[in-house]
Amino acid sequence: MLTRRDLLKSAGAGAVALGLSSQPVFSAAEKVVKMEALMPSPKGNRVVVCGGGWAGLTVAKYLKRENPNIEVVLIEQRPNFFSCPISNPWLANLVNLDFISHDYNQPAAKYGYRFVNDRIIAIERDKKRVYTTRGYIEYNYLVLTPGIRYNYAPWFGDNQELIRYTKLNFPAAYIPGSEHLALKRKIWAFEEGDFIITVPPGAYRCPPAPYERACMVAEVFKRNKVKGKVILLEPKEDIAPKGPGFRMAYDQVYLGLVEVVTKVSIREIDPIKKVIKTTAGDFKFADANIIPPQQAGELVWMADLIAKDKEGKPTGWADQDPLTFQAKADASVFLLGDVISPALGVAYPKSGHQANSQGKIVAKVIASRIAGKEIKPGSLMPENVCYSMVNGTPQEAIVISVNYEYNEKENKITPRPRTINDRSEALAKATYEWARAMYRDMFS
Amino acid sequence: MPNGGPPPTEDKKLFNFYWFGLFMSEVDPKIFKEVQDMNRRGFIKVCGTMAVASMVDPSLFSHVLAQQQDGMFQAYKKALLVKADGTPLKEGDIKPHVNYIFFYPHTATPCYLINLDESVPPAEVKLRDGKSYRWMGGIGSKKSIVAYSAICAHQWSYPTPQYSFINYYPPHKPSDTTKKAGIIQCCAHLALYDPKQGGSIIDGPADFPLASVVLQEEGGLLYAVGVLGKDQFQQFFDNYRTELRQQYGSTAKARELVDKCTVAEVDKYVQAVVMC
Repeated sequence: MLTRRDLLKSAGAGAVALGLSSQPVFSAAEKVVKMEALMPSPKGNRVVVCGGGWAGLTVAKYLKRENPNIEVVLIEQRPNFFSCPISNPWLANLVNLDFISHDYNQPAAKYGYRFVNDRIIAIERDKKRVYTTRGYIEYNYLVLTPGIRYNYAPWFGDNQELIRYTKLNFPAAYIPGSEHLALKRKIWAFEEGDFIITVPPGAYRCPPAPYERACMVAEVFKRNKVKGKVILLEPKEDIAPKGPGFRMAYDQVYLGLVEVVTKVSIREIDPIKKVIKTTAGDFKFADANIIPPQQAGELVWMADLIAKDKEGKPTGWADQDPLTFQAKADASVFLLGDVISPALGVAYPKSGHQANSQGKIVAKVIASRIAGKEIKPGSLMPENVCYSMVNGTPQEAIVISVNYEYNEKENKITPRPRTINDRSEALAKATYEWARAMYRDMFS
Repeated sequence: MPNGGPPPTEDKKLFNFYWFGLFMSEVDPKIFKEVQDMNRRGFIKVCGTMAVASMVDPSLFSHVLAQQQDGMFQAYKKALLVKADGTPLKEGDIKPHVNYIFFYPHTATPCYLINLDESVPPAEVKLRDGKSYRWMGGIGSKKSIVAYSAICAHQWSYPTPQYSFINYYPPHKPSDTTKKAGIIQCCAHLALYDPKQGGSIIDGPADFPLASVVLQEEGGLLYAVGVLGKDQFQQFFDNYRTELRQQYGSTAKARELVDKCTVAEVDKYVQAVVMC
């Protein structure tokens, strides 16, 4: 069986996969040439959606809803869905695992798309093929929704051993899987000392998540009467979004349990000695949640659709049209969700709600194109609603919602944010209803 | 409004004419008066065929039928609105800008009843696909009483005994988040609907307007007779099987059609009214 590791080996690109270069990893892989088709060639229009997260699930469902005759294939490597939104309250046992876990069977059966539970090992855009470990699937349209990948290089260079050690012992818990379970185990077992959470520099998934996580970890410490605190290392001038709401929670709910250090640039992390060297001094820690810098998920690199800066270097994020989410380099490919680049004056937050909202737009754009029509760019705009749990006892939350307006004359997108920084139990209830409704939208 | 007894819901053709009468009453005062002067049964007798009805105003008639063909209006059992003590609810019992809840047309499908304290004229409710339908406006002496399904047309949040995320925000109590008042807003994803415009979408992610409940006043009594707009009942029953089974014993029980609706202030039914 051909594995991703084999491909890396054959392409001699181990470092590339870890984000150290802009070169496409798999497009030139020779071994895939010998692979056979996993599915027959499409008879009509086939859309292959790669990545069963918030964006991918939404595109798959709404494409079938727009036009049941479109053949939709959703490829996802995980056997089941684990929701990153609400995973912080789950860390503090405010919700159970059932709440954030879902199966792919239900939506695939209900909406009539094909779910392929497999890993994607290569994408050949010239042949319009996606390769999984079991064979290739041809497409008319390709939707790439892989979410993020970690980029430890700015902190660890190419020291793979240190990266491996850090991922194992101080997991980021930003990509579903064992990392979340490990983090939960660690914070509930934590006894004393400083617990550091690093807020990554640059764009990253779910901007308020580290601040909410600080609250939830502090909640666990409070319940367990831990002699210690959470230290947030924040590279920005101040925490944001919802900064005042988080600050109030730290000062009023978790006084002495959360410390925020702003304008911090991490120079070096020694995971063995448990020291983080920064521009604000050295921080020794008893344990840590090291959230590294991030980039668009692997599949976008695989498809060679990463944006480049003026000097031709990869920005790390997808090169997509900001209104239609179509890849600039390929009209048959769409890039959305956490992978996208900022454009037209706005950086859409990399959130579940945004991904869901973008998914509905992309479904309409593709379905219209298949029907021989074009949706006017900017006529459909995404939105965002983001709740954060800032108190566990009683449960209280804050919220930000953002609408976006496109000005055609100026070719500019203007965000209209609305924030409630005063935490309340009502908003905590709304947080869960927000999630339940999103899960209903994607799964049932 | 036509009067003289319940609409003939069992007979679809008769009901069409009845509904036509309701519709006309709002769009053409002259015809409205004629219909008012007529006993309802007499009216149906007179308009015993479609051809006769179409003589009154063919375009209106076909418009109403078209609405029905599109599934925009669905007649259900005529249900009397009553108070908690079982006595009929009167117009005077409905305090201005208080959010009342009742369940119609099914045992488990919640609706809101609101006295907007001002005359609310008929309105054209637009759908995202460019189609539209006619909403008849408020009823009562001030034409100020309206009713809507309380199942959010976005992702089906609804008031449960524990909490309600979709609520009416009176003029004196605007939303903290959207700063808007006189609206129905769902806190789950900030879908905003206009109760003065037949539940039209003001803002937010909903794909459809809020479905409205068609009310009828007869001799001082208030009835619900049907649902206008894109109802979300199928999605509601699909999504909440477990919850409805817990609350009502079985989904069949939850689906039962009602012929009487107890009206209560929302905060008497819901433990936590979640405003945002």
